[in-house]
Amino acid sequence: MDVHKRPGAREAIFAQLNDTGRAEQVAQRLTDAIILGVLSPRERLPSEPQLARHFGVALITVREGLVILRDTGLIETRRGREGGSFVSAVNTPHQALLENRLHKLAQVELSDIAVYFSVIVEGCATRAARYTSPVDAERLAEWLHQANFTTTASARSNAGGFFLELAVLTQSARLVREQIRVQAEFGSLLFLGLADAALRERVAGGFRAVVPALSAGDDALARGLVGDQVEALGQWLLSAKIRVERGGNLDGEALDNG
Amino acid sequence: MAKHSTTAEQCAGAVSTLFDSVFHDLESWRDEIALIGPKTRSADLDALVQTLVVPSLTRHNPTLLGAGFIAAPEFVRGRDVHFSWWIGPLESNPLLGITTVPTRLDLGARIYTEYLRDVRKLEWYSIPESTQQRHVTGPYVDHLCTCDYLFTVTIPVRVDEQMVGVVGADISVRRLETALLPLFLGADRPLALVNIVDRVVISTEPTVQVGQLAPHSGTTVACSDLPFRVLVAPALAPRV
Repeated sequence: MDVHKRPGAREAIFAQLNDTGRAEQVAQRLTDAIILGVLSPRERLPSEPQLARHFGVALITVREGLVILRDTGLIETRRGREGGSFVSAVNTPHQALLENRLHKLAQVELSDIAVYFSVIVEGCATRAARYTSPVDAERLAEWLHQANFTTTASARSNAGGFFLELAVLTQSARLVREQIRVQAEFGSLLFLGLADAALRERVAGGFRAVVPALSAGDDALARGLVGDQVEALGQWLLSAKIRVERGGNLDGEALDNG
Repeated sequence: MAKHSTTAEQCAGAVSTLFDSVFHDLESWRDEIALIGPKTRSADLDALVQTLVVPSLTRHNPTLLGAGFIAAPEFVRGRDVHFSWWIGPLESNPLLGITTVPTRLDLGARIYTEYLRDVRKLEWYSIPESTQQRHVTGPYVDHLCTCDYLFTVTIPVRVDEQMVGVVGADISVRRLETALLPLFLGADRPLALVNIVDRVVISTEPTVQVGQLAPHSGTTVACSDLPFRVLVAPALAPRV
């Protein structure tokens, strides 16, 4: 990402190649949003220029990404004044798409994503414990107290929010930017396990225990607590991968899509 | 250096002057916005705010990263808080890329901010709302806007005794440092500028770093009535 933003010859050399992968990334992000229920059936997508700005890519890249989505039947495009791209109304077999996504990612890739994410958030927790002022801790506690972890969608949004707030507490702009980037790329996968009510409860409890650790300046405890939650999410993902590879489904009772 | 050394008082004075000049701009914007009255069309409001704030973002060496007005829902006949906010040209930003002209903040394009249920609970809105006074938030990493380490300064806008929003501006820590570090370096003892919770903003003592909390029991100089002070010969308290 940073390399791409640096102007000059390097960018020109790599632009074409970069953009090819980027259209697929755009399609993947939107696919995730649709199959995880972040975007609802019949919902209109933002306009193409809005999407281009949102993803930080060229308009043509967005158009290519939307073509991929149209081909899979996830969206349909209507012309005219009321036109635009809409999430398909038909109840597409989301479960199958999700299983396909897990099938395509190797165990080693899934583990690697979880490792990378946990190193970042553990680092954030360590530093946040040293740098959090009492006012900051109070504010985080208040937000967390009211954050809802009882449904899949709210738990995913609030888990992302918690990790982002943790990065903010480090006072490092780089860590905040990286947290936003990593969540955009892998968040939908990493937080997949939050479809499981028991895991949601466990993760929410872990998050709530982090706040007193930050207030007490206990960096080892804060790091451990954060690492445990990411590990649990990573293990859920690997278990789901194994179920899928054995020819089963993601696990009907765990994936309630609430 | 042959020239006379600067004093902590001079450094504190320079901090006050810089922030006061930003607040002075905010006050003039506030007065203009208060004139157009409630139930305004958001397009009219945006046009006015753009005219007011954009010159301060495009001047040479701007102190401000962004500026604007955040309106309470009632003020614009809306359901949500309305952001009439512009971001100045950015040399390079991983989220926004490189821009050469001011751009309007588009919060709808920031999906990751959805977990923030109500921005009116954020410090830069809630404190001016409860105190009816000007307020400095930060330094903090602002992930709503440019993802920079910055201060947000805000003052309440009132119409008929009712707060209808806040006018505000973002001041980057980096630009503040560029403006003030030479003065701080001119002192014959290490100095550190800290905010109200003792968080370091600028420091000429390498062991006391930006972003850290530096409780200090030695000599300090207040920056007029701003939530800042200059620490003389600061040292970090040992960690327990």
